[in-house]
Amino acid sequence: MTMDRRTVLGLGGVAAAGVALAPGLTLIAAPPPDKSEASGDQRWAMLIDVTKCESNCTACTRACRQENNVPLFGDPTRDIHWIRKLEIRDKDHRRPSVSLPVLCNHCENPPCAHVCPTEATFIRKDGIVLVDKHRCIGCRYCMLACPYKARSLVYHKTEFPEGGNPNVPIRAKGVVEKCTFCVHLVDDGKQPACVQACGHAGHKAMIFGDLNDPKSEIAMRIREVKTQTIREDLGLKPHVHYQGL
Amino acid sequence: MRSLPSYPARFPLLLVLVWAIFVLPSVVLASGTPDHDASANSHPSYAGGPPQLEKAKGESCIRETEWMRRNHMDFLKHRRAETVRQGVRIRSESLLKCAECHQSHEKFCDQCHGYVSASPDCFECHVYPK
Ligand code: HEC
Ligand code: HEC
Ligand code: HEC
Repeated sequence: MTMDRRTVLGLGGVAAAGVALAPGLTLIAAPPPDKSEASGDQRWAMLIDVTKCESNCTACTRACRQENNVPLFGDPTRDIHWIRKLEIRDKDHRRPSVSLPVLCNHCENPPCAHVCPTEATFIRKDGIVLVDKHRCIGCRYCMLACPYKARSLVYHKTEFPEGGNPNVPIRAKGVVEKCTFCVHLVDDGKQPACVQACGHAGHKAMIFGDLNDPKSEIAMRIREVKTQTIREDLGLKPHVHYQGL
Repeated sequence: MRSLPSYPARFPLLLVLVWAIFVLPSVVLASGTPDHDASANSHPSYAGGPPQLEKAKGESCIRETEWMRRNHMDFLKHRRAETVRQGVRIRSESLLKCAECHQSHEKFCDQCHGYVSASPDCFECHVYPK
């Protein structure tokens, strides 16, 4: 029997994986089968077709609150919003008003991350901008830096809601938070809750996918139709694109 | 030429000095303070002896029990940074999974932490399913 170089090296690797130096201390532990990791090969992005967004529909915002256990205090100055619906009206009534959801734009050059003194806000390899709540000290520089008003500070202690989602931690007072693109779902190969809900409501105004995959729906749509991002002039390169704005 | 005093001559002086500096104060202090029960002032958990842990479900922990006892705090914090910042998810060893076997954090985690006066705030945010 002959073996090529690669096979022999591979076997060596398998043997090394099992080498135990002492009880409980292995040289290279074999990776568990249920492990996954964010990869720079992907660039997650969202496309929102505002012509399909219904002005009185709140399916996306409700789904977001349900999925991420985001409470509503009923106090507009203190409420937490990961995604919110805006209505844009033309002052001279020459164009019909449009309704659109606004959420964290997951910028390629996130100003929130640049100003964060503790590196709590960071951009993950796959382009998702996140707050590491374990590091956030609640200074709110990021809230001032964000041109999309996408961030909220938690002003109140909250309880786990009845019928809440145990897969997403709740929140502590004095920590800033925002949309995560439902990172826990994305890492499991699923779509963010708002995108799913928009589909279930029959509008299909939101799509989510990998810009680096030329065959993905979002990459094709962005190539083929005219899309915009909000405040393109700022050069932040948002990953939330709008069509028909 | 005058010779230095011999060793036996210096010895009592040295002894008195040592005694005055180290022994006398402790004797005075000990007799001066009223007797009291040493445990009365300390953390309440000490009074009941070592922490009583609820028996875990399942065969064994995700690592050896001794290793977990010593290293679970580093393990959790290491994993937490990896998961949140690199997106490394190992589903079978997530914080949520601990609750499948250690069914109550009050009767398990908090027992030890009270005993050693550690107060991790993890369950302010993380859900511990019952
Ligand atoms: C499959 C079930 C299971 C899971 C999951 C599990 N454990 Fe355990 N754990 C056990 C068992 C069994 C013991 C042995 C103690 C006993 O017999 O009660 C143990 C022991 C421990 C001990 C030492 C307790 C002592 O007696 O000193 C610690 C600390 C611990 N686990 C922490 C954790 C943490 C943290 C997690 C989550 C990352 C976790 N365990 C997940 C079953 C489990
Ligand atoms: C066998 C006793 C024991 C058990 C059971 C136990 N812990 Fe601990 N834990 C400790 C000790 C001791 C420390 C270290 C305190 C220190 O280093 O100051 C600690 C520290 C920690 C820390 C770090 C705290 C800090 O301030 O840095 C975390 C997090 C933690 N434990 C989580 C858990 C969780 C979650 C469980 C239950 C699943 C658990 N522990 C069960 C004894 C225990
Ligand atoms: C301010 C709220 C908050 C506090 C306090 C907090 N966490 Fe987290 N933690 C989170 C959020 C949010 C995530 C991200 C969840 C995700 O992406 O799935 C997370 C993720 C994690 C993860 C990775 C996911 C998992 O379930 O394994 C670990 C491990 C973790 N935290 C450990 C801890 C430990 C240990 C403590 C206490 C010392 C702690 N956390 C305190 C909010 C918090």
